[in-house]
Amino acid sequence: MPRVDRDDIVAIVVLGVLYYIAARLGLRLAIVEDNITPLWPPTGLALVAFLRYGRRLWPGVAIAAFLVNLPITNLPVAVLTAAGNTLAPIAAAWLLERAGFRQQIDRVRDVVALVGLGALLSMAISATIGTAALLLSSRLALDGFWGAWTVWWAGDAMGILVVAPFLLCVLTWNQVEPRLGLRRLPEALVMLSLLLSASVFALWNTGQLLFLLPPLVGWIAWRFQLRGAAPAVLLVSTVATWAVSRKVGWFADLSLTEQMLTLQLFNATIAFTAFFLSALVSERTQARERLQRAADDLEGRVRQRTSQLVEANEHLGRQITERREAETKLRASEHELAEAQELARLGRWEWDLESGTVTWSDDLYRIHGYEPGAFPMTFDKAVELVPEEDRRRIERNLATAFATRGRELPHIEYRIVRPDGELRTLLGRARMFFDEAGSPVRMLGVVQDITERVDYDRQHLIAETLQRALLPEDLPTVDGLALAARYLPAEVGFKAGGDWYDVIPLAGGRVGLVIGDVAGHGLEAASVMGQLRMAVRAYALEGHQPADIVEHADAVLRVVASDEIATMTYAEVHPASGAVRIVGAGHPPPIAIDADGARYLDLPKQPPIGVAAGWAYEEVVVDIAPGAKIVLYTDGLIDRRDIALEEGLERLLAAADIDPGRPVETVCRDLISELAPSEAADDIALLAMERLRVRDEAFRFRMAAEPAELARMRRALGGWLRGIGVEVEDANDLVLACAEACSNAVRHAYGPGAGTVDIEARRDDGAVEVVVRDFGHWRERRGQDGGRGLALIEALAPSMRIERTERGTVVTMRRTLRGPVSV
Amino acid sequence: MTGHPSVAIGVEDGVVVAGISGEIDLSNATEITDALLDGVPNEALGLVIDLSEVSYLDSAGVRMLAELDHRLGWRAQVLRVVAPEASRSRRVLEIAGLERVLSIDFTVEAARTSVHDGSDGD
Repeated sequence: MPRVDRDDIVAIVVLGVLYYIAARLGLRLAIVEDNITPLWPPTGLALVAFLRYGRRLWPGVAIAAFLVNLPITNLPVAVLTAAGNTLAPIAAAWLLERAGFRQQIDRVRDVVALVGLGALLSMAISATIGTAALLLSSRLALDGFWGAWTVWWAGDAMGILVVAPFLLCVLTWNQVEPRLGLRRLPEALVMLSLLLSASVFALWNTGQLLFLLPPLVGWIAWRFQLRGAAPAVLLVSTVATWAVSRKVGWFADLSLTEQMLTLQLFNATIAFTAFFLSALVSERTQARERLQRAADDLEGRVRQRTSQLVEANEHLGRQITERREAETKLRASEHELAEAQELARLGRWEWDLESGTVTWSDDLYRIHGYEPGAFPMTFDKAVELVPEEDRRRIERNLATAFATRGRELPHIEYRIVRPDGELRTLLGRARMFFDEAGSPVRMLGVVQDITERVDYDRQHLIAETLQRALLPEDLPTVDGLALAARYLPAEVGFKAGGDWYDVIPLAGGRVGLVIGDVAGHGLEAASVMGQLRMAVRAYALEGHQPADIVEHADAVLRVVASDEIATMTYAEVHPASGAVRIVGAGHPPPIAIDADGARYLDLPKQPPIGVAAGWAYEEVVVDIAPGAKIVLYTDGLIDRRDIALEEGLERLLAAADIDPGRPVETVCRDLISELAPSEAADDIALLAMERLRVRDEAFRFRMAAEPAELARMRRALGGWLRGIGVEVEDANDLVLACAEACSNAVRHAYGPGAGTVDIEARRDDGAVEVVVRDFGHWRERRGQDGGRGLALIEALAPSMRIERTERGTVVTMRRTLRGPVSV
Repeated sequence: MTGHPSVAIGVEDGVVVAGISGEIDLSNATEITDALLDGVPNEALGLVIDLSEVSYLDSAGVRMLAELDHRLGWRAQVLRVVAPEASRSRRVLEIAGLERVLSIDFTVEAARTSVHDGSDGD
């Protein structure tokens, strides 16, 4: 039992008083007796109070209803009626809460719930109890029961429908978006006044004019939703009900029943139309707002993503610039061997720990950017040239050496700042010498300038990482094709980057294969490659023809890097037919391998992209047989310093020709191991495809309708099923089912003369369908076989169908495969 | 690989044991039935049909077994069928619902013992 506090008591009293007032007002509208009214406002009030403030306020309603009824009935009837008047709104509030009713009534389902659950269903309670009380107290004759019940029910329902939305509208005024500004107040007032005049005018003239009101109410509902609909409904219903109860206007001419019926129908229509329309508009507004929010959100994300891309691009640009500088520097000293270069930058120092004097070799001064002997050296002076964080590491290194009395100090990589501000990276090695007593007396050190090497390693790593990131991680699976690819970055020099390959699954089972090479190397080539790859991908996915794709790539290259050129080959493969449409743009010719061996595809000589603006590229169509392969590659595979280009091409062809039956994965592996130089100076990209043999063809078999043929059929079908990878269990059952169908045909379809049975089987998704067809006339079974054959088929292939026609019998059996099916 | 079945019949202690190997279908079921019936003398207690070596069995074979069971039955001779668990023949007998009609054993030994027990019980 919830605790009842003072606030609750106050609320109960307030509710009771309001209920009493509303009831007194309602009774003024009574048209039958003194207590049956076509509109009973307090019910709506009670429902709203229970919905918003909880059903525990029920005593207010109960007491007030009792006090209202007592003077117009006797004690028992008043008690019963009050009970009904309390229970009905309690039930309504409970049902609406269960149905997820929103008090803003801004969804159609809220309107439906209010009308169905709140008004029609719940008010049957008060009507039943109230009418029964009248009956029991003999104030009502039995044959008047249903009439009175209907009126009571309609009155309470109208109280819910007319009053509750208005109160809810007022109470939720500030919880509804959008807020209504004062700006719209004049419009609202004008429309409501118009509605009031129209109502009065219609009611006091002829009934036909009532049809003027729904459009007006609808208009208000459409403009203001619930905040217009609720007052409008209350206004119109009150005016109409008042007119009827005062017997004014044209209503007065009707009989009592007609009055009631017309009034209730009119009020119900107005209310339902208004609230339905207002909820519809609210819903639509909300949907539009959600859409707007989603669009804003998307736009925001696009903006954010764009700025990220711009940032990434700038970062890439900076790296490219840095790398160029490093490359230029390396080129300046290209003639020197790397070792000699490093030797030339070897400096020596000696530190006499007793006197504290430090001696530098001439080279060490030069490494630091000074003339030899430019100033006398001390330890403190020396470490001054080292940036703070590296200095701390050096000092820690020394401290450890002194503490542990180690002869060899660990190598240390550190930076120095030259007088012109340039940073150099040095590698220091040092050794400590001790006297007989074990105290350190002297340190000797060698310092090597490794700036170039560090830069080189870093740049190479970046380019290679970028390249790998831009290439497809996994090749897609393409029905009817086997694919394999390799990418080997250059191992020496700044040459990593620029080569690419791609596999693009297209509509209709086709696939686009791309290989390309952006001239130049390193980060810039890698980034151009990345953009070209995406462009080709996009155009291919949009369904462009191969030649158009290459022409578009040409245009894109001009935009992203006007001074770059690239070679590429694009091939669109249709695995089912074996048709390959190839466009070459200055790229080494593809190799085709079939049963006859390997050959170069003869493509027209066309310029690389980025060279000849507006060149109309031509495609070549070749047909490849099942089992044939096409190998695309970049020039790293054939272009070697020590051999001529022709010789490289000959070697590649010879290597590809060795074993035409090799799978593509092996082709890639062998070509790389045969041809790639041990220290590749250029990237190598390799993409190979094979058109797979279609093994999964349908099984077709014809047998003579003789028992001796059954074994032959079983072996043939079993072999086919194994061939397409059906598991043993499934295959055995399918063979048995098929054999049963064939046995039936052999036994029943034909007379003793010759006949044939056709068997067809095919795989269909994860199932196998077997069709057994004979061309005889089915007749009832000879002898007794107890239907064992059919029973077996049904057990083995549950979806069996038998069609018997004039021309023969067709048995179709289908079995879903249980086991995994390998292709 | 011929599908032709072979039937090896031996008698021991009044029980006829027929080992069938190969495939049983419409083309040879009648033949096998005749061979089996010929192999069961009137004084035999019963027949054990060993399907362990049968690589294929369909409804023709099932019919054959049912018929044999019937014909031996009214001569008060026992039919027992040996079909090892998880064998192809056993699966067919199960699907065809003969498991509940025929007496099925896993081994020839078990079948032979059952024939003796059955006749002792009579």
